[in-house]
Amino acid sequence: MTTTVGIKCANGIVLASDRRASKGGMIGSKAVKKIYMLDDTKAVAIAGQLSDANYLINLVKAEAKLMEFERSFPLSVKEAAKLLSNILYSGMRSYTPFITEMLVAGVDDTGPQLFEADISGAVTEEKFTSSGSGSPMAFGVLEASYKDGLSTAEAADLAAKAVKAAMERDPNSGNGIQVLMIDEKGVEWRDFGGAQ
Amino acid sequence: MMSSREMGYDRAIVMYTPDGRLLQVEYASEAVKYGSLVVAIRGKDFAVCVTRTKDTDPLLDPIEKIHMIDENIGAAGAGFTGDINLLIDQARIQAQRHRLVFEDPIDVKSVVNHIGKFMYEFTRYGGVRPLGAALILIGSDKAGRHVFLLDPRGLILSGKAVAIGKNSQEATDMLRSEYKLDLSIRQALDLAMKALSKAEEKDSPVEIGIAEGPKFKKMSLDEALKLYPS
Repeated sequence: MTTTVGIKCANGIVLASDRRASKGGMIGSKAVKKIYMLDDTKAVAIAGQLSDANYLINLVKAEAKLMEFERSFPLSVKEAAKLLSNILYSGMRSYTPFITEMLVAGVDDTGPQLFEADISGAVTEEKFTSSGSGSPMAFGVLEASYKDGLSTAEAADLAAKAVKAAMERDPNSGNGIQVLMIDEKGVEWRDFGGAQ
Repeated sequence: MMSSREMGYDRAIVMYTPDGRLLQVEYASEAVKYGSLVVAIRGKDFAVCVTRTKDTDPLLDPIEKIHMIDENIGAAGAGFTGDINLLIDQARIQAQRHRLVFEDPIDVKSVVNHIGKFMYEFTRYGGVRPLGAALILIGSDKAGRHVFLLDPRGLILSGKAVAIGKNSQEATDMLRSEYKLDLSIRQALDLAMKALSKAEEKDSPVEIGIAEGPKFKKMSLDEALKLYPS
């Protein structure tokens, strides 16, 4: 019950999400954070059960840090996505799945990377993607306007536009947009609208 | 006065001598000194290791000395062959375990830490004997090219040039005086072979392992000299 969007750009990545948390037919929160940094260069955007997603992020952050200490260099984006998907897969296989879908994005020594990990533990590499209940609307915008080689600024506008379109038609997405950009210059957050 | 040995401090692994030594672990290190000489050198963008196979019986095939751990890592041991094989197995299993999770080859340091921990555990419990083996691991990963040395204490060392096995002290002394920072692969091979001349075996076949680019390759001396002409 969310809209998240991820775009891989020429020199970085963009993640965007709405800010609404649904609680049955109610709006549970109007300023929920759905994009989290794993470290300085990697982030995830979450859709689904907030508690499951928060737990997974904490777990992956801890495992990634331990691995980084052991081998003296950080995880690649693919490795972070794989770590996450293995936990998702074992959840599904033990009949206690983590009800969440995550976009894992970041910049590593192979350049900008974007992956999507779903409830079953499947990982796919994407140029652009969306997940959550608003994703059909967001995909419409992305499919129409995505081009290879976008700058992070252009991709940030496109991602915000896609989330906005979803918020207009999906009752479970809304209350503002949050955008995260990661490129060689660093990390930048943008907020549009939100809780009043 | 009775020596530590006579007092029985070398009977149980978990017993320190009054001056803080673990004799069983020291004896294990002693066993390594009878093993065959292995020499490894790290250059700017490569690592090489050389050793001679034991070729004592014309009826028997020589025993393989350099072992592939994964496509990017190789290892050679000195000491009890059974103990070396156990460590090689552990390293290979850890490498495949990493692939199962990440679908990418493991980095060298993670393998070394795993084996180091494995060896160390044998110095801490009663009823086991410390492994009479030392290992040299060389390999490539995202962080670069590496040379690591592991001993029966579970000590992990990394460096530019190392040697284990019989006469390793003499070989190390030679490496210390002749190692240069900007060695080419051929120069490193020549230096490693010069250090290997301290080995007990003088004319049994040489095995060579080279970590260059993302891969570890095993070859004979002839192949290596042909591949890297001077």
